[in-house]
Amino acid sequence: MADDSAASHRRDPIKSSVGNVAAQRRRQNAVTVGKERRESLVRAKRLCRVGPSADGDVPVEGNDMITDEEEFLLEAQTSSAVEDLKSTVAYQGKGAMQKRVNALRELRRLLSKSEFPPIEAALKAGAIPLLVQCLSFGSQDEQLLEAAWCLTNIAAGKPEETKALLPALPLLIAHLGEKSSLPVAEQCAWALGNVAGEGEELRNVLLSQGALPPLARMMLPNKGSTVRTAAWALSNLIKGPDPKAATELIRVDGVLDAILRHLRKSDEELATEVAWVVVYLSALSNFATGVLVKTDVLHLLVERLATSNSLQLLIPVLRSLGNLVAGDSHTTSTILVPGLEITDGVIKVLVKCLKSEHRVLKKEASWVLSNIAAGSVEHKQLIYSSEAVPLLLHLLSTAPFDIRKEVAYVLGNLCVAPTGGDGKPNLIQEHLVSLVQRGCLSGFIDLVRSADVEAARLGLQFMELVDMGEFTYAAHLFSLLLI
Amino acid sequence: MAMVVDYQHDLSFPYWTSTRRRFDPDSPFFSSGNIERELLAKQVALDLTEDERNQLEKMVAKDARGVFCPIVGCGARLISLEDFEDHYNARHTASCSVCSRVYPTSHLLSIHVSEAHDSFFQAKVARGYAVYECLVEGCGLKFKSYKGRQQHLVDKHKFPTSFEFFKKALPSKKQRQKNHRKQAMHKKDEEASSKMEVENETMDGLVSAVSKLSTSDSSPSTVSFGRRHTRGLTFVPRSVQHEKRADFRLAGAKR
Repeated sequence: MADDSAASHRRDPIKSSVGNVAAQRRRQNAVTVGKERRESLVRAKRLCRVGPSADGDVPVEGNDMITDEEEFLLEAQTSSAVEDLKSTVAYQGKGAMQKRVNALRELRRLLSKSEFPPIEAALKAGAIPLLVQCLSFGSQDEQLLEAAWCLTNIAAGKPEETKALLPALPLLIAHLGEKSSLPVAEQCAWALGNVAGEGEELRNVLLSQGALPPLARMMLPNKGSTVRTAAWALSNLIKGPDPKAATELIRVDGVLDAILRHLRKSDEELATEVAWVVVYLSALSNFATGVLVKTDVLHLLVERLATSNSLQLLIPVLRSLGNLVAGDSHTTSTILVPGLEITDGVIKVLVKCLKSEHRVLKKEASWVLSNIAAGSVEHKQLIYSSEAVPLLLHLLSTAPFDIRKEVAYVLGNLCVAPTGGDGKPNLIQEHLVSLVQRGCLSGFIDLVRSADVEAARLGLQFMELVDMGEFTYAAHLFSLLLI
Repeated sequence: MAMVVDYQHDLSFPYWTSTRRRFDPDSPFFSSGNIERELLAKQVALDLTEDERNQLEKMVAKDARGVFCPIVGCGARLISLEDFEDHYNARHTASCSVCSRVYPTSHLLSIHVSEAHDSFFQAKVARGYAVYECLVEGCGLKFKSYKGRQQHLVDKHKFPTSFEFFKKALPSKKQRQKNHRKQAMHKKDEEASSKMEVENETMDGLVSAVSKLSTSDSSPSTVSFGRRHTRGLTFVPRSVQHEKRADFRLAGAKR
């Protein structure tokens, strides 16, 4: 078994320490390695995925990356590594600490070779209580780091494996403190982020144990991987559905300023994590939304949308913008006033998103436009005379269904002025006539025909508007539909 | 004042009202944008060397070159996986808005909607009308009962006897995975085996539907694709970095 000593820092390539000849042969073939990696990447995603369809069971497809033998060997090594750890934890004599760190490191290596760590074997052998002991106050940084790293990867597994970290949580949270070294704090944040990512129940446990304030403080520095990890962990922690955490976060001293600073200046990867924090703040907490819109956050979001091409960044930024517009009528009525530069800026970046090749951006940009179009008559006029309308008309006839539905909302909202009571709608004839003349009816007819109830309703309601506007042509079409 | 208008229970037909729409963060409205993010809900901290990390990054970038639509006879070239999904959804699937089952053609979808969700249809059945259509386009025959149609499919169109157009409930993910594995072993198709994973319920449903529906070998036994990154995304599993020194002393877990 090829195992490098603690002194040497040469890392063995991933498979070799399992000592399997077949594995080594595969490794020599670069193409095959590439294929393995690709498949393992895909599997990593499935391992890490926490989707609504998860039935408590991480699907495992025929594991052709690692043979049964290799897996058995890995599990056996893991069990024995835990056993070693147990004896070093018990041992109090000379060099105890170094022995403990070595044992931890061995376990950590086994748990961090591949995207499929032998978590179950580690848990069965009793790793958790030992790791908790290794987290005790006053321990050396190396020990804390290795222990937190092991826990991180255990927490990245199945739901019940993540839950196994419960005894360790108070200590992990404690080591986020300002007196901890940065690598230790970061590794603990990473582990806690995995725990928070598991689900609402664990999130609530973390919140009641006071995880939020220290994580929030870790987001305050200007840069560093620690900031990024903390932001990611926070986004998992506040994602609700309970809005309490979001409201608590925005209240932490310095957080608002840090968020704005990162959105303004930080590199795209960090900005992405922070943007997700803003997504949850704006979606869940009215208080946070109110606080945010009083800053220049809209400018910052617009700026990012205008200058970035990273889909990973654009999605949460666009959504934050959408949430801020949707969450508070104040945003549209007081801040995005037609005629102001910021308003033009918002329309412009939304148009850019409509032109994007990415479906999500087109859909969510349409949604945002529909909410702005739900504002005053001046808002409708602004959108109507912008570059958006030709794009929207085009999307209405060519885009995938979910985009067309959102586009329908925009176009319909452009034709109806806000009314006081719930009588007949107040038509904006000019917009309605023009849109019909430009051929939007067939798109709405398609929606009526779709199997989706909401879409059909939209289509019919639009037809009705047209009918009310007394177009004989349209009335004919409408009656044709009823056959 | 946010207005979340819920029309599902509203049977009347209100006029168009221009109102703001707000969604919760876990609303299905956001699910397509959430796909990538969900994958990052939990992250394994890998221990990779510099080389391995580079290799991984290069590989991820290369993969963004393009795929061909796996449905035989289509051959569409798609530049990104999102594109692929769009194309697939537009051309090869139709999903029921009532129960979310996915079908490979609008024809099949409309048959499903009539048979599963239309009480008028059931009324006609009760009165003895032949309303169960044959599923094979162009055949046109109709039957008085589900079983009758079933028998026809087996007898006339050589459907497997195990075929069920309407399954009461979708098989569990585990079962589906088992089915795929079995089929994959029989097929031994290189192309299909460099598969990417099926990502969600509807896609799984599609696969079952497609693979069971084909009377020829036209569709790959496992039609599956994962949500990989579109252009511009590079997801590299995060690794803990540490400086290379003779004695293993951690300088910092920098990215």
